[in-house]
Amino acid sequence: MSKRQTSTCFVRFDQNLCAGYGSCLRVCPTKAIRVKNKKAIRIVEQCIGCGECIRSCREGAVTAATEGPGVLEKDHIAVALVSPVLYAQFPGVMPKDVLLGLRHMGFQHTIDMSYFLEIFQFATEEFIRRNRKSPKAPWPLISPVCPVVVRLIAFQFPNLLPNVLPVLRPVALMAREVKSRLIPEYIKKGKEVILYYLNPCPTKKDTACLPARKKPAPTEIALGINDIYPELVKHVDQIKAADDIPFYQTRFEYETCATANASMWGMSGGEIADMDIDRSLAVSGMEETISYLEKIEMGLFQEIEYIEFRTCREGCLGGVLTAIDKYLAKGAVQKMIKRYGLGRRLHRENILRMYEKGEFQTEKKPSKLTSLFGAHKEALSIDSMQKIEKIMELIKGTDCTACGAPDCRTFAEDVVRGDSALKECLFVRAQPKK
Amino acid sequence: MSKFKKSFHIKGRDFIRAGEASINVQNLLKSMDFDPRLTRRIAICGYESEMNVVMHGGDGKLSIEVGEDRLILEVRDDGPGIDDIEQAMQAGFSTANDDHREMGFGAGMGLPNMKKNSDQIHIESKKNNETVVRMIFFLSEGEKTH
Repeated sequence: MSKRQTSTCFVRFDQNLCAGYGSCLRVCPTKAIRVKNKKAIRIVEQCIGCGECIRSCREGAVTAATEGPGVLEKDHIAVALVSPVLYAQFPGVMPKDVLLGLRHMGFQHTIDMSYFLEIFQFATEEFIRRNRKSPKAPWPLISPVCPVVVRLIAFQFPNLLPNVLPVLRPVALMAREVKSRLIPEYIKKGKEVILYYLNPCPTKKDTACLPARKKPAPTEIALGINDIYPELVKHVDQIKAADDIPFYQTRFEYETCATANASMWGMSGGEIADMDIDRSLAVSGMEETISYLEKIEMGLFQEIEYIEFRTCREGCLGGVLTAIDKYLAKGAVQKMIKRYGLGRRLHRENILRMYEKGEFQTEKKPSKLTSLFGAHKEALSIDSMQKIEKIMELIKGTDCTACGAPDCRTFAEDVVRGDSALKECLFVRAQPKK
Repeated sequence: MSKFKKSFHIKGRDFIRAGEASINVQNLLKSMDFDPRLTRRIAICGYESEMNVVMHGGDGKLSIEVGEDRLILEVRDDGPGIDDIEQAMQAGFSTANDDHREMGFGAGMGLPNMKKNSDQIHIESKKNNETVVRMIFFLSEGEKTH
């Protein structure tokens, strides 16, 4: 029997607010939601953290498992790890002023992820350049940047795991750098550091869900961009109104943001637009992503080298935890590109030296990814498959969802697995007893 | 010997829905936990077979049969039949028309691909008659169904 709980590592769920409409049922790509007793219940192992249920819920009963606003405490060093999506929430404001706003809010360090996105771009180009001729790399390679896509592949398309580009994700590069260079200095001084990830989506796991680590690790907290936006916008407005902006000395080069490449990353296509790859594609949206993955599985698109997938429409700008509408944000990014142009601030040679040392390789084997992401469903036997077919014949198959399952096939599976009773189906109940 | 068999309809000339039957087959196999490499091979064979029916055949059927030691993928259509099977198996041989090529199909790799990705392939066809292609995939010792 599957473990059924109302909350997962990625989303929290408020029983009192749920009206049992089940709008979340149909949008869940892994079919992890059931409505029982007019309350939505989630199967924990199947949640991949896409946030579609949050988006669909009219009652606001589903929220991200982020910490929420008001967690910033003064007695430790607060480090903000900033997704470039944040800049797009402030049309007409320079990224550096947004980072300054964060400092005014009380963050001692603001780490700009786009610096690491650039490193990732170089590493990706290099990997493709070296493997282009080799039949060993399975084509097309799939971007590892969107973790929901990787989890979706691990759960629903495990045979595509070898296609996931084996280069460390930008956020992993960022965390590694911060942990190895910035944090030790503070630890020497006896200060505690807390890392705050400012995310556009609920994709970072609740810390309670992570396996216990051997080494003492810094506290890591995930915040939604919409959690900090109301306060940040006040500070940014002040900065905009000020004639004289105090100049902040930053210690590391990744504490300031300089190029338009940076802000572009939030947009669908932003990852590949400036990449030096011959044949690449950008696909966004959950349905489109699934449909493309199905096609890749059937052997299509082998002539494409790299595909950027984002399960949110329009890319991360369409994340469920953003503060402003995705199209407004996209407009802001496009303006920024026009103003600053594209370009990188890092030098390829430096990154290549790191590449040679193997600093970007993922340690995790594809098979490990599956277990890491935990999404798992017990396999069905031939016998169970036959039973499911029999039930399907009985229940007519209109996908009415009245039983609380997302569709008839899933309901039939639930019955065979012993999680639901056949009489929960309206059509079965309406049939005259034999 | 316990077996499970299911068929899916393929509509001829319907390029918009082409691929659906193979996706259905694929989803069935995924709920049964086979080696991902095996399901991938079946996915490729399924898609190639389905496209053959959509392009050349009339309506057809794609079936999957799960036995204890093997999986059998069968595609059957009422289409025009294959003239010369040996010739059709050659890489690059195609009877696709210009419309098909414009859509990116008709490279003549369909049957060769199906042969490459299956353990055994049997084709029965006569001119102006139905075509049946059966592809067999043997399960390795550890993978046998229960």
